[in-house]
Amino acid sequence: MKRVIIEKKILERNDESAKKIREILKNRGVFALNFMASPGAGKTTIIEKTIEALKDNYRISYIDGDLDTDRDASRIKKLGIDVVQINTSGACHLDADMVLRALEQVSLDCDILIIENVGNLVCPATFDVGANKNVVILSVPEGDDKVKKYPVMFNVADVVLLNKIDLLKFLNFDVERVKKELKEINPDADFIEVSAKEGYGLDRWFEYVRNLIENSSLL
Amino acid sequence: MHEGAIAESIVDILKQVKEENKLNRIVKVRLKIGKMSGVMVDALLFALEALRTEEDVVESTEFEVTETDVKARCNLCNRVYEYTDISDIVMLCEQCGMPLDIIEGKEMKIIDVEGE
Repeated sequence: MKRVIIEKKILERNDESAKKIREILKNRGVFALNFMASPGAGKTTIIEKTIEALKDNYRISYIDGDLDTDRDASRIKKLGIDVVQINTSGACHLDADMVLRALEQVSLDCDILIIENVGNLVCPATFDVGANKNVVILSVPEGDDKVKKYPVMFNVADVVLLNKIDLLKFLNFDVERVKKELKEINPDADFIEVSAKEGYGLDRWFEYVRNLIENSSLL
Repeated sequence: MHEGAIAESIVDILKQVKEENKLNRIVKVRLKIGKMSGVMVDALLFALEALRTEEDVVESTEFEVTETDVKARCNLCNRVYEYTDISDIVMLCEQCGMPLDIIEGKEMKIIDVEGE
């Protein structure tokens, strides 16, 4: 019997690819945002509004991860920006190799790269895809108990958007509970309340993205 | 269930270990999975079990998993907090009010491999 000590990270390959992505993006001066949320939380709608608000001042490219179909990608394509669709054919998350392959197709003559991960509040949290910031969206109909139920996802968030706050008046949802639990699981995360449908809070979010981009170029 | 992808990564690494060490068979593999890694141990073992029939390298391999608690440290006073249940995690130091750094509990590792 032979014993081999390896102490090897299981996701080492993914982490190496994520590092490569960061290098490529840095060399091209591209800032990447990775959007993660449950299905139906409003990822694509928030991304659409963000692109509409920022596309006159910034060049934006978009990579969409979906189990199947190109519905999200077609919505974004209508806005006239460069879109690459990754069909994960069943995989519940994007990984760094998938994004690395997509980088060969998407235009990197851009300032912002938006990565829309697969709709899922669990699996995408485990895989670094080489983005500069993780944006996690929670929506009011999902309930105010989700932060502690999905601690791994909320722990990797750089910013949490609470979407559909126009529905607060119809539902029993305690925003303060979400803020408190987010502070506990991730004290550094920023928190912005929005309604992508009604427009509430979106200006604050757009300003937040502008600041991220402007500050990153100073580095 | 992303544990399927994690199991495939493990099998890829084991193929390499088998070849590099000229092993005929991998008998036992010890894994360390942190409670904050986002991996459910039962689901991972299920996925590894399912790969047995497809991947010769793990055909008769025994997997032993150690699940690690979450440890987080205050960088100001160095106090270390330990959490067995991840829904109890509070990433702020009770004394200093400073955000804590996770020092253990996010890892996913192959510790060692026994083969013949």
